[in-house]
Amino acid sequence: MAFIERTGYTEDKVWNAILRAPFEARTWREGCYLMVSSMVGFLGAMYLLLGFVTGLSLVVVLVGIPLLALVIVGGRSWGALYRALSESMLRSPVPPPPQFRAGGMFGVVRSGLSDRAGWRALIFLAIESVLSWVSALVILTFVAFPAFLVVSPVVWLVVAPINYDSDGVAHQSVMQIGSVYFDTLPQMSALAVVGIVGLFFAPWPVRALASVERFLIGALLGATEDDARVEHLESSRAAFVDDSAATLRRVERDLHDGAQARLVTMAMALGRAEEKIARGEDASELVAAAHGTAKEALADLREVVRGIHPPALDVGIEAALQTLCSRSTVPVELSVLLPYRPGQSIETIAYFTVAELLTNVAKHASASSIWVDVHADGTTMVITVRDNGIGGAKIGGGTGLTGLLARAGSVDGTLRVDSPLGGPTLVTVQLPMTSEGSRL
Amino acid sequence: MKVVIAEDSVILRDGLAQLLIDRGHEVTASVGDAESLGVAVEELSPDVAIVDVRMPPSFTDEGLVAAVHLRRRHPDVGVMVFSQWIETRYAAELLSGSASGVGYLLKDRVADVAEFVEALTRVASGGTALDPEVVAQWVGSSARRAILNTLTTREKEVLDLMAQGLTNAALAAALHVSERAIEKHVGNIFGKLGLPPSDINHRRVMAVLHYLGRPSSSTSP
Repeated sequence: MAFIERTGYTEDKVWNAILRAPFEARTWREGCYLMVSSMVGFLGAMYLLLGFVTGLSLVVVLVGIPLLALVIVGGRSWGALYRALSESMLRSPVPPPPQFRAGGMFGVVRSGLSDRAGWRALIFLAIESVLSWVSALVILTFVAFPAFLVVSPVVWLVVAPINYDSDGVAHQSVMQIGSVYFDTLPQMSALAVVGIVGLFFAPWPVRALASVERFLIGALLGATEDDARVEHLESSRAAFVDDSAATLRRVERDLHDGAQARLVTMAMALGRAEEKIARGEDASELVAAAHGTAKEALADLREVVRGIHPPALDVGIEAALQTLCSRSTVPVELSVLLPYRPGQSIETIAYFTVAELLTNVAKHASASSIWVDVHADGTTMVITVRDNGIGGAKIGGGTGLTGLLARAGSVDGTLRVDSPLGGPTLVTVQLPMTSEGSRL
Repeated sequence: MKVVIAEDSVILRDGLAQLLIDRGHEVTASVGDAESLGVAVEELSPDVAIVDVRMPPSFTDEGLVAAVHLRRRHPDVGVMVFSQWIETRYAAELLSGSASGVGYLLKDRVADVAEFVEALTRVASGGTALDPEVVAQWVGSSARRAILNTLTTREKEVLDLMAQGLTNAALAAALHVSERAIEKHVGNIFGKLGLPPSDINHRRVMAVLHYLGRPSSSTSP
């Protein structure tokens, strides 16, 4: 019983789909795409043919080689055109391949000849030069012809064309099959009905062909997986370099304003003391001042050193985090559970990420407690920093979170911030346990 | 000598003021940024202003910009630019036009109190005080190395100190020789380099620096 019901339901769905398909915007968009692409495809085939024939025939006089390079790189424009068509009519946006890059005059030609994106676009054009005919045929057979049948009774009535058969008998007809003339109203009406039924079948070949096109465009005109990965690495590398530059600037500023200024002051005091002593005066006050400044300079330097590379990190991430957490102004509960030591660079990133997050909490969150948890999930190191503060932390809100995200991204890690207004805030950072062996 | 100090590090500013007061100079104002420096110089017309390069708000080269401005607006006020690092380009900007009443020293130099105060006094009275590092860099990168190499070791020493802005008397004291001996060395140097002799301290500095190819002609009017 249940089985039968289910089949009935499925049949309903099929009929629904068939009846609705001709009126769906998607069908019309894809039909339009096939019409446009059959024309563009014809032009593309001409480009391919003319470009290669001219280029190859001119190779002997050398001009052909740069010309061929131009034809190949020019394939990218066709790719861009098809991607635009695909996005607007097939609703399938495809990420463009990376920009064409070349250096020097001969570099341009060489990179042009070996331009992967260009070649892939040309292969697409070659396939398209056949497919555009198929598109045209599909449109003619499944759309144009039934549509003509539908309107044929009107044409038959209004235009009333007269045809003569081999016996010289006049027929008022717009259509004949063999020697059978369609020349009565019932016959014409039957034709129109056939046309209407035909139109209900038209969406399916259109959609099938559109799917093939969509697949080809995605496979040949978009960025490859490698392209996407290179792009991701490039952007995360750039962000990481910016972040490192900012760190160096901060270290320089700290040294300049702290230890360096104190050492100058100390040297000055000692210089004055030396003169006083030479004159036989008491310089103990100046020496005491210099002594005090020296101790302050040492403390400053210790802070800066900790900011560059905390010595405790040599012992391990747990020891370093313990020291870090015990220095936090907001009490921290720390738990670290790692089966083995992560890579050195990962430890460093983890340490500074936690350090920055603790500073953020102390500065912005008005929290009374922080929980830091570090554990491993397979080959991934998961760091969570949670506080009971006021929340509202965002990446890019002028906090250091953007820098942290870049740092995590530089080793293919991630950083997620969950911080509703009113709190609490939970930051989750995932880093690979080892950064060795890039996947490229 | 009336001195205005513009330095954003409080402990350094106070130390400098104390050092100058100890030696009987008058510190008429101590300020922490370039804007107040302009006001202080306008109101107090000191003999010399000590200007830190890096000051608020952007902590880049506010002090230098203020110093160049001061030199144009108040040519009678000596300007001693005081910095924790040396940029030869900054020196060139400061010296564009004239070397009169201008100084550019590393903060480290304050450790030798007597020499520092001497340099400051020189700048206050229209002389020049360039950090040895600036001069060393310019001598080292001079296109006229071949001729400079014809100088004797002692003459090179004299040239260095002369370019730093030292007077003959100060040169004599620094090298532990008589002033007459210095005059002889200076005469020899000018002869070898083909420079017209000049007794005025800051003109002499300018002549030597131009000879070395600095400051770059593009910054000169």
